[in-house]
Amino acid sequence: MAGMQLDKRLSWSGMVLLLLVLYLFLYSPIAYIIYLSFASNTMWPFPWKPTIEAYENLSGNRIYQQALWNSFLLSFGAATLSALFATMGAIALLKYRSRWRGLFGIILISPLFVAELLIGISTLMFNKQVLGLPGNMVSAILANAVHGVAFGFLIMLTQLVRYNWRMDDAAMVFGATPSRVFREITLPIIWPAILGAFLISFLLAFNNLEISFYNLGAIPTLPSVAWGSLRFGVKSELLALTALVNGFVFIVFAILYVFMRTGLVRFGYRGE
Amino acid sequence: MSARGRFSNLFYRPGARFALLALPGVLFVVLFLLIPIIAILIFSFWRTESYELHADWNVNNYAEVLGDGSYMVFLLRSFLTALIVSVVCLVYSWPVAYFIAKLGGRYRLLLILALAAPFFTGIILRLAALQAIMGPLGIVNMFMMDLGMEPIKFIMYTKVATGIGLFYLYAPFMVVALYLSLLNFNFRLLDVAKVNGAKPWRGFLEITWPLNWAGTAIGFILVFIPCLASSVTPHFLGGANGALYGLVLGEQFAETGTWAKGSAMGVILFIASFIVILIMWRTVNLRRSGFTGAGM
Repeated sequence: MAGMQLDKRLSWSGMVLLLLVLYLFLYSPIAYIIYLSFASNTMWPFPWKPTIEAYENLSGNRIYQQALWNSFLLSFGAATLSALFATMGAIALLKYRSRWRGLFGIILISPLFVAELLIGISTLMFNKQVLGLPGNMVSAILANAVHGVAFGFLIMLTQLVRYNWRMDDAAMVFGATPSRVFREITLPIIWPAILGAFLISFLLAFNNLEISFYNLGAIPTLPSVAWGSLRFGVKSELLALTALVNGFVFIVFAILYVFMRTGLVRFGYRGE
Repeated sequence: MSARGRFSNLFYRPGARFALLALPGVLFVVLFLLIPIIAILIFSFWRTESYELHADWNVNNYAEVLGDGSYMVFLLRSFLTALIVSVVCLVYSWPVAYFIAKLGGRYRLLLILALAAPFFTGIILRLAALQAIMGPLGIVNMFMMDLGMEPIKFIMYTKVATGIGLFYLYAPFMVVALYLSLLNFNFRLLDVAKVNGAKPWRGFLEITWPLNWAGTAIGFILVFIPCLASSVTPHFLGGANGALYGLVLGEQFAETGTWAKGSAMGVILFIASFIVILIMWRTVNLRRSGFTGAGM
């Protein structure tokens, strides 16, 4: 570092500064809301008198309890579909040569480039007018899964790009059926990537407002209840909910981090 | 040959296995994304009467939306907001992504996941967190009042607040897109340029920037599209004069129940985003970006 030119050192420190400011900007609202969720006076929480009142209010609130269950059901369904389609699609596109690969890849990625609001209103109209379905859980699961497939597919692609498909061919040469190859060779290696795709789609659907909002009608989910509550300002239940969901997301990301590190090692990726 | 034998024979053909694996997902997206969008295209030429759609074909919805100045103001305002936010995100994210990819070393996965994580807590909870900082009862203004100063007006229910909120929501997208692009960039090319006498800025302009333009364009689109359609952010941060197109579009389906007009507005929004994608895509030359296929 000592031999580095001054302007180079300046530009590196500039980048570090930008990075730190971005982290600070992203995390200070989250940190403050966690702090606030434990404070007895949420208007002016200084000095800090810790209390778990907000969490007691949240756990005693029937609407939030029901919303939690709906959110869980919705995101579990959407994530299962997303992970399934994303895994199958990524394997197909990476393993086999076909002239349809380009088109199919674009279709699987395309939900990323359509705004959530548009997914929400178009599926609402389609379900209502064409299928005759009023807003319900199934249509919300399907609409969220469309979004999740794109994210899951991207994750599977980045994780499987280094997978060596010749291992599968070798097993086939020795007489293994395709399903046995998948169960005994592919799956044991790629399951962290599948779980990653599942978890990311789960989080997306769990916290999604715009797609679910138009598809669910009067069925409450955590984001829609939070939306209703935020109109009247940041109340104590909302503080506790935000803190808990942030904690949940960070636990999932910690799991993802561990999987991605070990997963990369297993694909023969050495970090360069 | 038995039916079972014929089936497994089929299954051994690579083409059939490709179709069997890829088609379910592809058909799923076509059925639940493409067809609903075609459906609203059809409904946009219908008529709504007392919360019901009637199939008499007309272009009144488009005439109403495109002819009424206020809708165009909303659309233009959304467009400008999305453009400004995307450009600011792009300018800010480049050095950040560059630093993580080049000097992150063994910590770069951790650094990038820490940037991506807040995105997954959803719009509402992130806006709630932002309100606790920037809102009229947020910490910044409570602090100002405590010191006996005027509250900072421009971050309360203004277009600037909407812009800050959108940057807060979507900047992680841009950083991740640029980071993924830079991961596949060969930094040794810059050493070659340096050995041949190029100044660092010239190396950046002639090598790093053009070779990562595809990733930059994708990041730009991924920020631009949700900003163009943003409805929740202006609702909570924008105040009375900060309504954006997405907000008005959403109202057609919630409060007023004017399905046909809302569908027309949706189609216009879709076309607007599609034009932006096309323009950005035309600037991308995959071969020039060093794209060797990623298996495709």
